[in-house]
Amino acid sequence: MKDPAPLTTDHPGQVVSATPPAPGRSRRLSDRGLAVAFISPAMLLLLAMSVFPLLWSLYLSFTDYSATRGGPANFIGFGNYTAILTSAQVHTRALTTLIYVIGAVGLQTVLGFGIAYLISRRTHGRGVLTTLFLVPMMLSPVVVGLFWRFMLDAQFGVVNSMLSSVGLGQVEWLTRQRTALISLIVVDTWQWTPFIMLIALAGLSAVPKYLYEAASIDRASEWFRFRTITLPLVWPLLLIAVMFRAIEAFRLFDLVYILTNGGPGVSTETLSFHIYKVAFLGFNTGTASAYGILMVLVVIVLTQFYLRYLNKLKEG
Amino acid sequence: MLLLVTTVAACGDGKDDGAKASAPKAPATIPELTKDPLTLSFIWFDWPPAQALETFANAEYKKERPNATIKVNTVPNANWHDAMFTQFAARKTDFDIAILDSQHIGEAVTNGNILDLTDFVKNNIEVTAYNPYLLAAYGQFPQAETGKRDENASLYGLPLLGDTWTMIYRKDLIGDKPPQTWDQMISAAEKCQADNPGVSGLAFHQANGSDAAAVTYNTVNGVYGGNLWDAKNRKIDGVLNDAAGQEAMDVLVNKMKPLTAKGSGNWFIDEVNAAVAQGKACIAFNWIAASGGLLDPKQSTLGTTREQILDKLGFATLPSQKTNLVPLGGMGMHVSAYSAAANQAEALNFMKWFERADVQKKWAAAGGVPSRTDALQSPEFLNAGPFNKVYADSVPRMRDMWNVPEYARLVDIENTNVNAALNGAKKPKDALDDIAKEQQSVLDSSNRKGGGGL
Repeated sequence: MKDPAPLTTDHPGQVVSATPPAPGRSRRLSDRGLAVAFISPAMLLLLAMSVFPLLWSLYLSFTDYSATRGGPANFIGFGNYTAILTSAQVHTRALTTLIYVIGAVGLQTVLGFGIAYLISRRTHGRGVLTTLFLVPMMLSPVVVGLFWRFMLDAQFGVVNSMLSSVGLGQVEWLTRQRTALISLIVVDTWQWTPFIMLIALAGLSAVPKYLYEAASIDRASEWFRFRTITLPLVWPLLLIAVMFRAIEAFRLFDLVYILTNGGPGVSTETLSFHIYKVAFLGFNTGTASAYGILMVLVVIVLTQFYLRYLNKLKEG
Repeated sequence: MLLLVTTVAACGDGKDDGAKASAPKAPATIPELTKDPLTLSFIWFDWPPAQALETFANAEYKKERPNATIKVNTVPNANWHDAMFTQFAARKTDFDIAILDSQHIGEAVTNGNILDLTDFVKNNIEVTAYNPYLLAAYGQFPQAETGKRDENASLYGLPLLGDTWTMIYRKDLIGDKPPQTWDQMISAAEKCQADNPGVSGLAFHQANGSDAAAVTYNTVNGVYGGNLWDAKNRKIDGVLNDAAGQEAMDVLVNKMKPLTAKGSGNWFIDEVNAAVAQGKACIAFNWIAASGGLLDPKQSTLGTTREQILDKLGFATLPSQKTNLVPLGGMGMHVSAYSAAANQAEALNFMKWFERADVQKKWAAAGGVPSRTDALQSPEFLNAGPFNKVYADSVPRMRDMWNVPEYARLVDIENTNVNAALNGAKKPKDALDDIAKEQQSVLDSSNRKGGGGL
């Protein structure tokens, strides 16, 4: 009589099946092969939808190619890049984008952290409050843009109606240079403050309770506890949220398109909106590709600096 | 295969907007039509005439071609150009007939996106039945001189829907007789606004999207004797911003804008109609084809019946000043070069059918604006709407914008700058000078190596 097949091997944790492999599974397919087989559809999709278009854009950015005019893509070296970097039009849009990013992300950070701090101190209804605050983030930016456009309408909008009910005059929210950009910042803040709040709330929940207890024993003030315990421990996580939001805000398109269409004039045209015009009004594909590549580069470089700072913070 | 042979597009030297046209030719006679079920697809923007066309064509064209179904695909007005030209760029369209604005023709022709219909028109269309300028405006490239048609030039489209601006005025507030001059119109609006708190003197297009603010300025420019460009020499700087152009901008920003509602700086077709329907404007300007809804009691606070509304609203041709020019609106039908052969044949057959005298009258009765002179003068058209006579009277007064391949950029420059001037973001003179300078640079920049489109 033969010994029964051992149920364990020399390597603990590995169980050898007593039954033969299921029919139909190729013996040649190793674990590695299986892994490749599972990963490759996603990889191929990534290559086709992201990597190839990026490389193709990079190639087109050195040409004068136009998608509608067709014809050959003539190599023009850094012509597109030089033109973009020296264009006064681009500088104007860059400044608008910068003001928008700083305004929107700054406001969202202050509000998001503030709300998270207040929620974290509540013991009852935390879940409900958090869920309610997250609702704006779940909406499509186009939908958000459309209903804010109605709300901010100078003639029939609910915002002006409320202002006039308290004796304040009509404000031209979307058609005046300053108020239009402020409106964009406010709407973006309304939608994306919950994102910062969510990350900050996660950071606040992770602060060890014993630190606060120790501070209480030492009779530390509320402000002292916030300044020396809460903020330093939440800060790195908050900075990551700020980075995500800054990248998002940097490539803002949809809200501008719906709310102001870049106006009045071009005063709320962001870089992304300008690229859209270059790409689809004149179909200057080469220029638009270079413009897009430059925006990607700016994001990558700034993110690198930012990540270094974060690492330093961690090490510190 | 109808159209495989396409000459290579060689636009880009920017010297002559017409010389490098590369559109493939449509056959002079309609090829044999399929007996299989076929859907003939159009692309247009979303507005009442689009629905009217689909209903009308399915009701009438099906009587002759029962196997054909007409589908009018619509996109928001702001995406209209993009929706058509991104598909043209892909060399594959899900539409057979593109309904292009007259100014889009140059771009589509030089890129080889639409068929050259010159021979087809010669053999199938009664060209003498039209006001020559209407036939030219919706099909000719290079562009016709205002009011004329060059019989030697090629035709790439046929009229679908004529249109121009109408002046809509409140008879109960400013009287039955419409103002005859632009100055009178401004005075009447001023007085009406002062006499009727809560009602603004004027309502017109000011938005920076589509061609809204640009058409408004171009209209005032025309009325005050200005010119958009010197087409022969491709010169804009010094022409658009000459004394007449400056006066027009001054009138628009300093005399007309103060009479509009607060916050109306982003108004376009719908907002102007809403202001009129809600009784918030004494005088308004809008496209005739978009004015039908004003007579609908369900959408208006001016009356509970059409008659009651018409007691208060009047429609008139635009006042004149130094000239009597009015803007040319409307669109033509153009056959996609990338459509299947059977669909192209059906499209040509549809166009021939649509331009027949009896069909044009039926189109008029269905709410469309025809282009044939006999249809324009027919009772079917003149009695179909109170603004139709306005259109018929306006035809000899029409002027169009440029239909060069660079149109999309030219109109964007003008739109954004006029919008900036109307909303206080730029001084009127600076805005006009910037338009002239930037548009000139677009026309001159075709040879530039890199940075095109900035």
